[in-house]
Amino acid sequence: MNSRERFQAVLAGEIPDMVPVIPVVDGFFAPGLTGRPSDECWQDNDCLAGALALALERFGMDGVVAEMGLGPAPEVLGCPVQIEGNEVPLVTDRLVETRADLEKITVPDPWSGGKMEPVERLVALAGGDSVILGAVRSPFEYAATVRGLLDFMGDFYRDPELVRDLIAACLPATLAVGRALAEAGVDAVVVKDSFASTSMISPDHYREFAYPAEREAVAGLEGIPVILHVCRNSLPILPLMAATGAAVLEIDSPVDLRQAREAAGDAVVLKGNIDAVSVIEKGTAADVDAAVSAAIDAARGGKFILSTGDSVPLSAPEENLAALVASGRRYGKYQGGDA
Amino acid sequence: MALLEDFRQAVIAGDADGAAGIAAGIASEGKASADEVIASLSAAMEEVGGKYETGEYFIPEMLRSAAAVERALQVLDPYLFERRQEYAGVVVMGTVRGDIHNIGKDIIISALRASGYEVHDLGVNVSADKFVARVKEVDADLLLLSAFTTSTRQALVDVLSALEAAGLRDRVKVVSGGAAHSEELAQEVGVDAFASDVKGTLAICRELLGGKHLPGSGGETGC
Ligand code: B12
Repeated sequence: MNSRERFQAVLAGEIPDMVPVIPVVDGFFAPGLTGRPSDECWQDNDCLAGALALALERFGMDGVVAEMGLGPAPEVLGCPVQIEGNEVPLVTDRLVETRADLEKITVPDPWSGGKMEPVERLVALAGGDSVILGAVRSPFEYAATVRGLLDFMGDFYRDPELVRDLIAACLPATLAVGRALAEAGVDAVVVKDSFASTSMISPDHYREFAYPAEREAVAGLEGIPVILHVCRNSLPILPLMAATGAAVLEIDSPVDLRQAREAAGDAVVLKGNIDAVSVIEKGTAADVDAAVSAAIDAARGGKFILSTGDSVPLSAPEENLAALVASGRRYGKYQGGDA
Repeated sequence: MALLEDFRQAVIAGDADGAAGIAAGIASEGKASADEVIASLSAAMEEVGGKYETGEYFIPEMLRSAAAVERALQVLDPYLFERRQEYAGVVVMGTVRGDIHNIGKDIIISALRASGYEVHDLGVNVSADKFVARVKEVDADLLLLSAFTTSTRQALVDVLSALEAAGLRDRVKVVSGGAAHSEELAQEVGVDAFASDVKGTLAICRELLGGKHLPGSGGETGC
């Protein structure tokens, strides 16, 4: 089985030869492999696509994550963005100060300005055998960004109507980018909802604001498998996350995988959940091995993709990524239906 | 006092109208002393921080309480200004260069304002020079640096070196804090103290200022 077949088998509910290993290696970590500063690489489509292809080649993992343009920073929505050196692109100002500014939220054309090119090139370079995931932000996350997270969360009590209107105004952006990624040939779209977890908001607020938008995003991206990512502690909301219709739920490191399976039910695939910071960035290869062994043990029974809980940071040591793949292969072989 | 208890509860519940109403009553009828008002607001924010730590509150609930504090202080400012000789201390606060996380910083700022400090908020992604210039301009007692990602180590070092170069290092106490920021890192870069939640931050600020500036500290101990 090649990497894509392995991934497709898991999505189809079958037991593949081994647990697919698809850590969240994206535009944060990959530019470092090229030896060029991240800001340069971010703005050079060849560099970004090449960096991700290099990650696949060097570590032998089953897949990587591509984003359009400056992925994590929604310049697609017109927010001013600063990029400097190896720092992550920063959104320097918000778009929506008052309700009247809602009209500034436009539906971006993902194909404009060559922003889809890194994705297309990566698919061309490595898409035959490897899994290429494309990431987009959820309407809830886009809304938080155009409004500024602080004011957005202040609005929950101050002006819930504005929260709903913001999210509704951002849904078309999520769908446009998600569909463009699908068109560019990615194997699945990761919908990232970074602020929807109970590390930030209550389960009630998740149900009220984030969940309906996630559902609409999944429904609107019909035809392409959706991986729903929520950062940090998602345990209390996993039953609802499963109800969004997403094919895969990406589980971050604070959540215990056994509890996650119990909460999410048997139907959905889980992807997770090695700590990207304390284990991959700061730990040793032995720490990685122990964490991988524990994760695969906790996720017995298939429907599992080994991954980091969140994006691998730029400064993560290469040997830890190599260890992640090696240990994933060592413990992840399915024999007689179990890993 | 029942009034102050209601005041405290209004802030904890994030009831800005309620808090502002009680504040107006206090201001017009002088029903509580400046010290009592500040002690009550401060206790409320400490409790809000505690509820966040235990998972009862989330970020929107903390922000709601912070907004109630701001509303109450708007109403109370002239009243407190007339009755208090001094602020509890002058604080300059911001998130260091390369870092744009602001929620934790803003919560701490509200808690400090609620506790009677004069706070100058420099925002996020703040350069060392900007910190130093403001510390000098307002003759700050405390410089509070929020640093949320581990990659901000250099930015913290830069602020301390810039303070040193400006000859201000001995005149201002420097405290750092923020998620993913640790006691070790704080020690390594050489700040005076570190805290990771509202309660700890308020305690450290009090300790570092030795109570000398606390409202009503003309003899009795402060809060
Ligand atoms: C929200 C968030 C964001 C938002 C911030 C929006 C905003 N307006 O603030 C956005 C999306 C922009 C963001 C971006 C990034 N983030 Co971020 N983010 C978070 C998150 C989920 C929550 C932070 C928060 O607001 N918490 C709630 C507040 C109330 O808590 P707090 O910040 O800890 O503050 C409390 C205390 O620390 C203390 N305190 C705060 N400041 C101070 C100052 C002093 C002096 C004192 C004494 C005390 C004190 O009191 C506060 C009240 O209790 C954390 C994860 C987490 N669990 O913390 C990650 C986190 C901080 N982010 C992280 C990272 C890596 C990033 C990014 C690099 C991208 C990424 N891969 O996610 C970028 C960096 C951008 C940049 N250069 O700044 C990491 C940092 C890890 C590390 N070791 O470096 C964290 C820990 C997540 C993780 N992966 O583990 N992030």
